[in-house]
Amino acid sequence: MTNHWIDIKNADCIMIIGSNAAENHPISFRWVSKAMENGAKLISVDPRFTRTSARADLYVPIRSGSDIAFVNGVMSYILENNLYNREYLVDHTNATYLVDPNFGFTDGLFTGYDAAKRMYAKDTWQYQLDENGMVMRDPTLQDPNCVFQLLKKHLSRYNLEKVASITGCPSEAILEVAKTYGATGAKDKSGTILYAMGATQHTVGTQNVRTYAMLQLLLGNVGVAGGGINALRGESNVQGSTDHAILFHILPGYLKTPRVENQTLAEYLEAATPKWNDPKSANWWQNTPKYTVSLLKAFWGDSATKDNEFAFQYLPKVSGNYSHISMFEAMYDGAIKGLICMGQNPAVGGPNVEKERKALHKLSWLVAADLWETETAAFWNAPGVDPKSIATEVFMLPAAASMEKEGSITNSGRWSQWRYAAVHPPGDAKSDLWILDQIQKELKKLYQADPGPFPDPIVRLNWNYGPGAEEPDAHAVAKEINGYDLATGKLMASFAGLKDDGTTSSGNWLYCASYTEGGNMAARRDPTDAANNIGLYPKWSWCWPVNRRIIYNRASCDLQGNPYAPNKWVVKWTGPETKWAGDVPDGGWPPGEKYSFIMKPEGHARLFGFGLADGPFPEHYEPLETPVKNAMSSQQLDPAVKIWSGEMDDVGTVDKYPVIATTYRVTEMWQAGQMTRNNAWLVELMPDMFVEMSKTLAQARGIQHGDKVRVKTARGEITAFAVVTARFKPFKLNGKSYEQIGLPWHYGYKGLATGASANSLTPHVGDANTMIPEYKAFLCDVVKEVG
Amino acid sequence: MAEKAMLLDMEKCMACRGCQVACKAWNELPAEKTTFFAVAGGYQNPIGLSPSTFTLLKFYEVDERDKVRWLFRVQRCMQCVDPACVKACPVEPVKAMTRDEKTGAVYVNRELCIGCGACRDYCPFTVPVIDTEASKSTKCTFCFDRLAEGIQPACAKACPTGCLTFGERPQILEMAHQAKARLEKKGRRPVIYGETELGTGTKKIYVLPEPLDYYPDVVKNPKVSESLGLFRELLKPFGGLALTAAVVGMVLGKVKEVKEKDQVKS
Repeated sequence: MTNHWIDIKNADCIMIIGSNAAENHPISFRWVSKAMENGAKLISVDPRFTRTSARADLYVPIRSGSDIAFVNGVMSYILENNLYNREYLVDHTNATYLVDPNFGFTDGLFTGYDAAKRMYAKDTWQYQLDENGMVMRDPTLQDPNCVFQLLKKHLSRYNLEKVASITGCPSEAILEVAKTYGATGAKDKSGTILYAMGATQHTVGTQNVRTYAMLQLLLGNVGVAGGGINALRGESNVQGSTDHAILFHILPGYLKTPRVENQTLAEYLEAATPKWNDPKSANWWQNTPKYTVSLLKAFWGDSATKDNEFAFQYLPKVSGNYSHISMFEAMYDGAIKGLICMGQNPAVGGPNVEKERKALHKLSWLVAADLWETETAAFWNAPGVDPKSIATEVFMLPAAASMEKEGSITNSGRWSQWRYAAVHPPGDAKSDLWILDQIQKELKKLYQADPGPFPDPIVRLNWNYGPGAEEPDAHAVAKEINGYDLATGKLMASFAGLKDDGTTSSGNWLYCASYTEGGNMAARRDPTDAANNIGLYPKWSWCWPVNRRIIYNRASCDLQGNPYAPNKWVVKWTGPETKWAGDVPDGGWPPGEKYSFIMKPEGHARLFGFGLADGPFPEHYEPLETPVKNAMSSQQLDPAVKIWSGEMDDVGTVDKYPVIATTYRVTEMWQAGQMTRNNAWLVELMPDMFVEMSKTLAQARGIQHGDKVRVKTARGEITAFAVVTARFKPFKLNGKSYEQIGLPWHYGYKGLATGASANSLTPHVGDANTMIPEYKAFLCDVVKEVG
Repeated sequence: MAEKAMLLDMEKCMACRGCQVACKAWNELPAEKTTFFAVAGGYQNPIGLSPSTFTLLKFYEVDERDKVRWLFRVQRCMQCVDPACVKACPVEPVKAMTRDEKTGAVYVNRELCIGCGACRDYCPFTVPVIDTEASKSTKCTFCFDRLAEGIQPACAKACPTGCLTFGERPQILEMAHQAKARLEKKGRRPVIYGETELGTGTKKIYVLPEPLDYYPDVVKNPKVSESLGLFRELLKPFGGLALTAAVVGMVLGKVKEVKEKDQVKS
């Protein structure tokens, strides 16, 4: 979230798209309700009518996989009808920037496409520079090569009729959204967009989110109270796990993972550190060397010296993609021998789960650390599997639940909140921290006894959280994350003091200032609001970066430092003596001295986003499986998506699988079900696997509410109870009617409530930028179960 | 101490069912063995109030021509201001259906209850359910044990949106009217239910965003049966202490007979 949960209450309009916040983030509705009490409008955009839609002023149905067309249509209307915030565009975005005249777009492809590699060369996706290396700009927004005009031209193809024929949403509803949400383009109004996995889990997931962010920029809704682009994260502390880089492509604090090309620290820093000529751009990532060296000092302590490139060579260097699908494809092919699953249950939650369960069969060993024996831990004993045929050695480690251990949990709003252990874990259950501490201590012993060719990364690891087999000290970990001034041994006060000469350490620069000599900031519980009284509560827990509750907050002001919305101001300039008041400003410079989007090298938010793999502007492409031809171009699928074509990677077509399907979660169940399908009270509420469908589809297939039905895709088939409901309606696409069904994905073969796994149906294909699986749109057929 | 009440502003309900689970957790009620929710409709489960379910979330799906509505309602004891169940309870001199002096909450004292069913029969909303195995009446207790400690009922505590709000009845009624006005401004046709029903009203005050026709199971004009007086009269000869469920059952049968005769006459 650029903003935070409580801030939702400040919105004048709330658009929930690609999210079912009421069901999956119930607490959000505390603040949605408060906003609505104050007159805010709620828009729910969703293929199905959900418990969120039930609360909305405006329910807008769009077919799964058509978000880009929808939002592009809304943006096009906003541009054509001058509902955008012009001052904001000029001062805070790259709308004025001139782009290389050779940049172009034809029939679904931007310039530079290499069809054989399914990749773009981005030579033309560049700004025009003058002789001093400064970007050329047109503040009048008239130059045909300026971002504003290019965007307007790109979006003009998305007129209401076209968008209606792609999304299946009536054009009047699209218009109503454009007008209602467009009204937040007024300077003193704000609109917020809440999204979740309904947006991201598509082959175009990243571009889906980009369209939301761009809409917010057009309306001047980023950096302001009641605005922002707000990812409702899928699990408790998944924000923390992302910040601390439990992902293959980043190091803690969103530093880039070194690649094999980066042979030395100098080469890595050269590649990872952006440079920019404009002195008004803060270009915050120019600090990358300080954060990187401080991270290496946290990892390897005294063993990280100037002479050994601060132990840079101890870091693994990646050469490929190690995301979820890639890993399971490699496992299926026998390339991965061992797997540690901590609090994860891919045998239910993974895409194309029949293949992923088969992949587990090929492991030499599997460690599962969880509260219960999950489907993953018990894959060898699954229905239809002969345990004698499995050679995998499986270790089940009983783990402690979040309430049974001390530590921090970072919520979607970037608040790191310290928790104490409420109760002791039962039996032999241990915290993840204890489990990892013991594994590291044993590994170190093994490498000391038998060093092999390269023991240093493990033997020299800076690892001091407590002796022996005691519960490690979570505070020691939190302090290491914050970092130290290594000369004085004192905790760092903030990342402003981090250096690239080895005299400071920080396990995550973004969390530097979270645990200082003043104490554990995440443990603070002072419910006093800030001077602007908009619900920032700056002394309640701590939020990254440097306790800034709304990021890019200088964009809530004009270039003189006056808030656009005086009634809900975030920051304001109070003069050279007293400087900024309100939230921690995004940089303390006087107004007008530095641009407001400090994390972009150019200092302006990007409407033209050349960082992405599949294009600087969002373009509609169809999902991997779709019943229709792409109405926008002859490019059916996102041209930068990787196509998997191994065994069990079959793709279905509309002739055999005419029905669109999507998967989702329900309030009563949690993720792959291990925590909720073992709780009798929750099982009582949602006892069985079900599939939701329209009355028309049910009628066509002779299905009654409550019947057992069979759902089939090219990957597999499952049985489930039919929910026949008016909340599902067919979509009219280009004049023809198409049905869509919906499946919760919580069920499996273990626990108190068992049922078929929806992921037996989903494909192995991921987003062009992140490889997140396309769980949300695929093709199936539904028939009544016979006998 | 002013009378306590709870606002059920159903416009703010998103059917998360946190109240239903919190009720089970506080009252230590076991889960029921349920099956797929085809019978009750929506996502409702279990199918009704029971000795192990005091709070139940109901779903109402309405398919109108231009629009689908999905309405929700929490169903449980209304906590009447003038509770007929207490009057009907034949256990004397200390009633099994207890009106707690301190908090005003009405709950079943399981030690005294004989499971006769008079409370259920005379409840204008037919809420109490008799646990036939244990021979006890069961229903929402308004968390009298929590109220006694100055803490709000478990359902209100769990409610994330402010749909369930606990407070003093005048203040709760004021909130109800504010909520109604907000909904009317949006062009909806809200109903306050519980303010004047039964004359003296109830302590559970609903704001239903749509007219009562949208909620077919809500009792439209709740009334305390006129035969309550007759029932009390016929019970007198048996005295309080000697009562058994069988005796009360017999009297309830007698009342029914008289009523039917009256109906034939009229």
